Amino acid sequence: MTTRGLVVLLALALALPAVVAAQDFPTRPINIVAPFPPGGQADLMARPTAAAMEKILKSPVVVVNKTGAAGAVGMAFVANSKPDGYNLLMALSSISIIPEADKLFDRKPAYTMDQFAPIALVSADPTILVCRSERPWKSVKELVEDAKKRPDEISYSSSGIYGTLHMAMEMLVHAAGIKLKHVPYGGAAPALTALLGGHVDCMAAGPAVVLPQVKAGKLRPLAGWGEKRIAVLPELPTLKELGYNAEFYIWAGMFAPKGTPEPIMKKLRDTVRAAMQDADFKTAMDKMETPIAYLDAPEFQKFWDNDAKMLADAIKRVGRIEEAK
Amino acid sequence: MIETLQNLGHGFAIALSPSVMVYAFAGCVIGTLVGMLPGVGPLAGISLLLPASYGLSATTAIVMLAGIYYGAMYGGSTTSILMRIPGEAASVMTCIDGYAMTRKGRAGPALAIAATGSYIAGTLSVVGLMLLAPPLAAFALSFGPPEYVALLLLGLMVLAYMSGGSVPKSLSMAALGLLLGMIGIDPMTGYSRFSYGVVELADGIGIVPVAVGLFGVSEILLTAGQAEMPQVIKPKLRDLLPSRDEWKDAVWPIGRGTVLGFLIGIIPGSAHIISSFVSYAVERRLSKHPERFGQGAVAGVAGPESANNSATSGALVPMLALGVPSGPIPAVMMAAMMVHGVSPGPMLIQQQPELFWGVIASMYVGNIVLLILNLPLVGVFVNLLRIPYPIMYPAILVFSVVGVYAVNGSVVDVWIMAAMGALGYLLRKFDFETAPIVLGVVLAPMLEMSLRQSLALSSGRYTVFVTRPIAATMLGIGLVLLLYSLRPLLAKGADWRRKLGLEGDSIAEKEENR
Amino acid sequence: MLTRDRVGGVALLLFAVAVMWEDRAFPLGTVTKPGPGYMPMLLAGILAAMALLVIWVGGRSPALGSLDWLEKKHAVAILGGCAFTALALERIGYRLTVILLVVFLLWVIERKRPAVVIATALGLSLGTFYVFSTLLQVPLPLGPGEF
Repeated sequence: MTTRGLVVLLALALALPAVVAAQDFPTRPINIVAPFPPGGQADLMARPTAAAMEKILKSPVVVVNKTGAAGAVGMAFVANSKPDGYNLLMALSSISIIPEADKLFDRKPAYTMDQFAPIALVSADPTILVCRSERPWKSVKELVEDAKKRPDEISYSSSGIYGTLHMAMEMLVHAAGIKLKHVPYGGAAPALTALLGGHVDCMAAGPAVVLPQVKAGKLRPLAGWGEKRIAVLPELPTLKELGYNAEFYIWAGMFAPKGTPEPIMKKLRDTVRAAMQDADFKTAMDKMETPIAYLDAPEFQKFWDNDAKMLADAIKRVGRIEEAK
Repeated sequence: MIETLQNLGHGFAIALSPSVMVYAFAGCVIGTLVGMLPGVGPLAGISLLLPASYGLSATTAIVMLAGIYYGAMYGGSTTSILMRIPGEAASVMTCIDGYAMTRKGRAGPALAIAATGSYIAGTLSVVGLMLLAPPLAAFALSFGPPEYVALLLLGLMVLAYMSGGSVPKSLSMAALGLLLGMIGIDPMTGYSRFSYGVVELADGIGIVPVAVGLFGVSEILLTAGQAEMPQVIKPKLRDLLPSRDEWKDAVWPIGRGTVLGFLIGIIPGSAHIISSFVSYAVERRLSKHPERFGQGAVAGVAGPESANNSATSGALVPMLALGVPSGPIPAVMMAAMMVHGVSPGPMLIQQQPELFWGVIASMYVGNIVLLILNLPLVGVFVNLLRIPYPIMYPAILVFSVVGVYAVNGSVVDVWIMAAMGALGYLLRKFDFETAPIVLGVVLAPMLEMSLRQSLALSSGRYTVFVTRPIAATMLGIGLVLLLYSLRPLLAKGADWRRKLGLEGDSIAEKEENR
Repeated sequence: MLTRDRVGGVALLLFAVAVMWEDRAFPLGTVTKPGPGYMPMLLAGILAAMALLVIWVGGRSPALGSLDWLEKKHAVAILGGCAFTALALERIGYRLTVILLVVFLLWVIERKRPAVVIATALGLSLGTFYVFSTLLQVPLPLGPGEF
């Protein structure tokens, strides 16, 4: 046996367990951790995905809710779990916000973003700006002009400080050079309730949630934060079209702990890709009026890095509330 | 009116169809079971069955999930009455007088009254839901941060009446509870308060471990080492049903509890568990024998149990009429609707009449089912009391631990439960009431948030509380109640300290009233 | 002079002061724009005031010595059991922890017959595991060997 032959054999011997592992993978049920309570966005994304993946892998894929700290508990759990491909994370864009917020308060971060290896992006809904139909503003321009005339008077609600809806508005506020009054609430639902009750003037919201209210004539959509217009509201202009450099999506993506072996990652990526094509999955997403926006890992990583940077900038701009007087 | 009855008839046709009935029944049973287990509440049950509901039609899914929701309110009273462990947070008040009734050998009547009150309240509140949903929902929306502040302050004032003992002691317990509610990330600024690096505390201390620890575990700590164990009660059939006097005592509390619970449940975000606290306080205030409260007053069981059942119907009002969730449980139900392609919104009643009327009709049916289910079970449950206490309490402890752990899958909750158990033990030893702590923990985050939101909205002007009509009215009522309770100061009789409530009843008086 | 209420009041007062001390790390803000430290400070103040009231009127309450602590040892043991549970739950798994807890309570503390102890321990442990983990699909921690 030549030396070269031995080396090849050795290499094969070392690679074989990984390959075998990947071929055997999964031997146990896979957990997709949804860091929000049932019925929340992450949960609603995770369940059809899990069902489709289960069909393809022919092995159970279970959604586990680990709630707490706006998602930090569930995210930290996956970040610290063994990178063997059995604990995955279905996270929303807030994954990029939490470590930044922790940094802002000199807290030890619950997790860091480089503890995750992205698998795929599943959906990306741009937020839309809505106001009550009774309010006079018919377009973003009118709102911005009004805001410039009376700074700090027009109010908006959000799902929480440094939350996704707050950050979205922040980007608009920065791009338009206006000052608005921010009233944080404990979640997207109370924020929407406040808007419907007329206690605040406007808010940034996910389209699926506010669509019934828009259709019923209670809310007026003014613009969208996406790069493109959204399918369910084709007449709604994007902020980019109107000249404001603000782009924000509430996206949902799947992650694995960093260090998961390459063959397993490949298998997961292939499975998710196939799951996106699954008929049942498509039907489920249609019913929720959420468009599928699939990006495979490399593109997702770029998307994520970009998104994270925008959010980090926004958070630093907002700074700690007490110092911004 | 005719149209309503017609729609209702249509709804009954749907609700009584076999497939829907099966799932309604399943929901009710699961709700009862989940309600009985300490810690695990309707939210857990609904979350559990949410994926199972995906394969059903939208109406059937909501019928089943709603069944879990109000079913849990029936089941929650069982462990509260039998073992002083709150089945879920809304049953905390039932622990006090319900368990006292059990100790007096009246466990059966307590359970029966709880079930009956739940049924009457559940059914009447569905009538309210059916007839008044849209206008009530619009009213509910007009509650903004200043109104919440007024409402919650009113709730705290009502709290002062909950005490039979000295007012400073109760208020200090309330302050303690409010302070415990401050733990966690401040929602207005993002600062992490008093959490000392424990990630799980970022959301706050959690009402479930606090309630279970403060009431259930502390009871075990107090009783387990006693020389005299609680008597094993061998109930006779006669003792299972309430006496005529007990029924009489229950009627008005049930009525008041129904109305109160429904109104409180409508208001989004008020957490329907407040309804049972408010009902208890109201009943105590209006009772001709307030000294009975804490020793086994029927009204102390009938009122809160009715209130928390009608609050569930109230909570569904904004959800069904406007597509606005009034709490986490309606939010999950809305998500279930969305998954089925039904968009909850203001047009729901018009666009999906089968869903709305089907759910309404099934709630009538479900309440009947639960009554039939729970009343005979009274006999079964009371027999549980035959188990000797030294064997019973480890079982209770195990259930408490697993129930508390199951909420978030977090060991931190178990620690909190143990710590609260120790605290409850010490507090009760020193004659402090523990119920105000639970109320404080629930109210604190809401009160602070609403206050700061109000100030943010009004740019720092406190006059906002006077200029908005609803808020001003509630604050006015609160002020009147406060002044009324301070009347003894004017009279300055020999007894003024006690009348004012500075001191509690002396131990001797307490023994007399037993 | 040492009455129950006085001792209780003093304990609460000390706690209130401790909270105020810890709260100094947070910006208080102003009355019109309260910061994160505002409410806790206010509440601690109220607690302190109430505690002082309790102490003031507390002279009339029964004496400290009249409290009986008969169940003290039991209570401490049970609390120890709870602490053990919290520590062991995620390390040795749910079922094992419950078995050990029940054996401790029933055998060591309550001195019941071994047959009763074992039956109850196994019954509670496996029974509740079945109800919660299998029926309710609530994930409970598993111990060595997936037990």
